[in-house]
Amino acid sequence: MDWKREAALVLVAFAVLAFLPFVVPDSYSRHVLIMAFIYAVVASNWDLSLGYGGVFNFGHLALFGIGVYAYGLITKFAGIDPWLALVLSGAASTFAAIVVTIPILRLKGIYIILVTFGFAQLVMQIILSQSDYTGGTQGMVRIQTLYIPGVNLIRDGKFGYFYVALAILLTSTIFLRVLVRSKTGASIVALRDNEEYAISRGISLVRQRVITLAASAFFTGIAGAFYAAYQRNASVDVFGMSLATIILSMVLLGGTSTIYGAIAASFVLTIFAEFMADFGAWRPIITALLIIAVMLVYPAGLAGVWTHISNLVRAKSKKP
Amino acid sequence: MPLLDVENVSKAFGSLRALDNVSFRVEPGEIFGIAGPNGSGKSTLFNTITGIPFGPDRGRIIFDGVDIHRKAGHEIARLGLARTFQRETSFDKLTVFENVLISATYSKANRSPEEQRRNAVEALDVVGLPRSSQGRLAEELSVFDRKCLMLATAVAMQPRLLLLDEPASGLTKPEIETSIELIRRISGLGVTILLIEHVLTFLMSLSQHLLVLNQGQVLALGDPRSIIADPRVVEAYLGTRKAAV
Repeated sequence: MDWKREAALVLVAFAVLAFLPFVVPDSYSRHVLIMAFIYAVVASNWDLSLGYGGVFNFGHLALFGIGVYAYGLITKFAGIDPWLALVLSGAASTFAAIVVTIPILRLKGIYIILVTFGFAQLVMQIILSQSDYTGGTQGMVRIQTLYIPGVNLIRDGKFGYFYVALAILLTSTIFLRVLVRSKTGASIVALRDNEEYAISRGISLVRQRVITLAASAFFTGIAGAFYAAYQRNASVDVFGMSLATIILSMVLLGGTSTIYGAIAASFVLTIFAEFMADFGAWRPIITALLIIAVMLVYPAGLAGVWTHISNLVRAKSKKP
Repeated sequence: MPLLDVENVSKAFGSLRALDNVSFRVEPGEIFGIAGPNGSGKSTLFNTITGIPFGPDRGRIIFDGVDIHRKAGHEIARLGLARTFQRETSFDKLTVFENVLISATYSKANRSPEEQRRNAVEALDVVGLPRSSQGRLAEELSVFDRKCLMLATAVAMQPRLLLLDEPASGLTKPEIETSIELIRRISGLGVTILLIEHVLTFLMSLSQHLLVLNQGQVLALGDPRSIIADPRVVEAYLGTRKAAV
């Protein structure tokens, strides 16, 4: 698809999303959509490193967690403006991603999983050990909210946060799509497809790996900071396997190396989980079974469903 | 001054000496052949020269006056040293044009985007891949076309030295003949070629100098016609009459 058509489709999709707060009946529904936006940012950025880069970075949720705590600490102890803190939190996650890139440069596959998983646990232990600042197992509470002059973000029926979250998702999506469509994106895919061949064509493994992980971290960190500002608390639960599994399901269900697939799956799974709220313990079981069913029929995930539908429409439109 | 000067290069894997004090020189503009039976160290030699995936344990490799034996693989590539691999290799999920374009982009600094695109188009023309295939994914190509694509990515780098690792392997007779013509065409562009090949007739039809490796050591080096008449080379390839019995 040429970029003009893609840009037009993205704008239409986001225009529809921007209209949703006026359609959904209550602030809770808007809250569900805000959470879907946050997950979509985290999942689509994970798709950059995992799908496009082929780097099994199981520390991606730690980058989200760093964003959460960086925002909490910066606003609480440095007294920095929350909007600036949002950006600085993204920068903190980016820095952490660069640090974790160094030990995984010479590693492949399962060893990258081990090191990045260890990195996530290390960050969590550091946060737990610094309880004077981070609240330890109790976490941080009463974290400063964002502000918009003239708007009370706490009592506006979640309209304000909805649009901030949507703006973050839109910016992140444009950033990711521009990156993966660029020559830098092609070099990231080249390294994934055949590392030695890519190096023989002048591509630097170190430089491109750093770019891949750093680029996937920035908006993940911002999403974490937004999450902290929105929920007004920070807890080490964000480093747990539960959230990581949910986000990874979104990446895989959506179909890797698409960006849009991860975003679509974030909406589907978040909203589906709400519909299944009354099913109690059956909820994750049914969700897991549905994910398996989709993946069996369409191994490329929701992106595969989209391709299938597009091909059907194209074939039908060609018939006289 | 030789374009490539390999001096006493050695490489060992545990107790196995894959390369043992290998030395030779390649002059600018020539096609230099490397032969040897399976396991003689031909591909290991290419790996150590290009630093992909490893450099030599000992010895020096001077390329165009620069000592490259401790340089990273991508740095060596950017100096103008390109290589192909024994198996047809491509970036499967990129289009044919993207495969060539990123080679043109990353192999040399200071090339404008227009120059990079022009290099990519010219490289595809050199190997004869039709323009209609440029938008296809590399994984959709036939084995021969993927070999041509691999050559195109190397040509797009505008290398001074091109290392070809068994370009005829897995090809049919007509495809081998096309490959010979293609290598001649690339050589005609002023690219020096270092060619590994198992098929001696292929090497004989192209090379000005021939090096034969056996068990990691240089067995013979010189004019191809005299080399293949060397009894030691015949023995390395075919075995002795006694051993054959």
